[in-house]
Amino acid sequence: MNPNPQSSDGKHDDDSALSDFLASLMDYTPTIPDELVKHYLAKSGFQCPDVRLIRLVAVATQKFVAEVASDALQHCKARQAAVVKDKRDKQQKDKRLILVMDDLSKSLHEYGVNVKHQEYFADSPSTGIDPASREE
Amino acid sequence: MKDGGLENKKELENSKKQSNSSKFRSKSDDFALSIAKVAVAQVCESIGFQSFQHSALETLSDVAARYIYTLGKTANFNANLAGRLESNVFDVIQGLEELESGLGFAGASDVNRCLANSGVVRDIVHFVGDAVDVPFAYDIPRFPVVKDRKGMGSFWEKGEEPHGEHIPSWLPAFPDPETYATQSTVGNGTMSGSNGVKTGLVRVEWKVERPLLNFQQQFARNGNVGDSSCGGGDSTKAKEASNSNPYLAAPLHFGEKEVDVSPVVLPTKLSNEVASRDPIPENRFLGNQVSVLETFATAIEAMKSGICEYDGSRQKNVLYNQRPTVHFKIGIGKKSLNSAPYFISKNKDLQKIAYWFENGNEKDDRKRRAEIFSKESMECSHESVKNE
Repeated sequence: MNPNPQSSDGKHDDDSALSDFLASLMDYTPTIPDELVKHYLAKSGFQCPDVRLIRLVAVATQKFVAEVASDALQHCKARQAAVVKDKRDKQQKDKRLILVMDDLSKSLHEYGVNVKHQEYFADSPSTGIDPASREE
Repeated sequence: MKDGGLENKKELENSKKQSNSSKFRSKSDDFALSIAKVAVAQVCESIGFQSFQHSALETLSDVAARYIYTLGKTANFNANLAGRLESNVFDVIQGLEELESGLGFAGASDVNRCLANSGVVRDIVHFVGDAVDVPFAYDIPRFPVVKDRKGMGSFWEKGEEPHGEHIPSWLPAFPDPETYATQSTVGNGTMSGSNGVKTGLVRVEWKVERPLLNFQQQFARNGNVGDSSCGGGDSTKAKEASNSNPYLAAPLHFGEKEVDVSPVVLPTKLSNEVASRDPIPENRFLGNQVSVLETFATAIEAMKSGICEYDGSRQKNVLYNQRPTVHFKIGIGKKSLNSAPYFISKNKDLQKIAYWFENGNEKDDRKRRAEIFSKESMECSHESVKNE
């Protein structure tokens, strides 16, 4: 008997925490716009008139993208630290952080998305150069 | 990672993924994808990236779109599994857990966990607390835009009686007889086929030149409201139809009516072009923005110069018009080709148009028109003779 009310209280707490969170979502504007999320949710068959759920999905997607991007950033910084060159151009370029396909594919691989990028297309003079140094 | 046995499976999966991706990313989705690109770029910028590779940005935005799509699909599935149509917050959380299960989240192994305090939600709460509020850069309208389609009223709505007992009143009503009585379908002799209703009310006699004439007149009119093209069957509706849409105008019998349209005033630039005989670079420069009439006008002027040389040579379709300034000429002799080298490309367009309307052979009319045409060209070719 005793644990039941406790667990039910716990559940109430969790529910209230969830509902509070959902309410607070309305104050926070996610970077991913609502219309875009609505479009893709409608495409998938998701039906819900509640705006808070859409915000939840938007926030979740933003979190996902942020995580992937931060992993890619870490890969990029690791690569820049590994490259040791004395040229000043390289040092100046090191400050610029570019989202490169290589880093992205590595970080996405951890999330189960297998992205394979073409090494090069032999259609321009700058083919086959190290992709980090090639400005696209 | 690269096992010999697993390679085939991966290839199969890749081929399946390709077929799925072609369905997912359709051409109509470009707008949403571009918005996703902007959003993802903003998120990456807040993380710390300063620039992106195009392909990387596209890939990441595509992945994000698929994430939303998969989340929605899973949530919908969970809702349907529970016997509901509309999804719940718990369906969404379950979907999130499924997506995050690859990396794992706190409490994933707990069998008796409650969804409300799921580790996924807690992670999101932390994220919201930490993240900087960066709103989206643009104002997006509601999309996709749903057109309000005005349905055709049913018999019952219009208050009309259906023609027979076999037609129920909730079916859409037949269109008004006037609209298809004087309707001229361009390029085809079969008219009743387009309506599917043979009421036998009106009969329009067809000649091949009529659609040609109408087409020509519409070209020449150049935006003027065409009230002079109404030949037979002058009902108000036909007039309205012709005012709004020249292709619904009543067809004219050949030579029936004097078309009262102001002559085309060629822009001075183009007329100077012809006079100076230097049309090629300027035409190319104007590119697609040159109106159709102007393109034809230059060709016509060039044609007129070559008219005097040959007379009654093979002319596939001479479009005869009351106004002497505008002539369409499809079949041309060799001399004019030499003198106006750019004309070859224009000729193809003209030939295409002529082919559309070519229907049947009425050589008597053509010969007659060719004679009249040559006479008129003799009269009005004053400037071009000088240039030639």
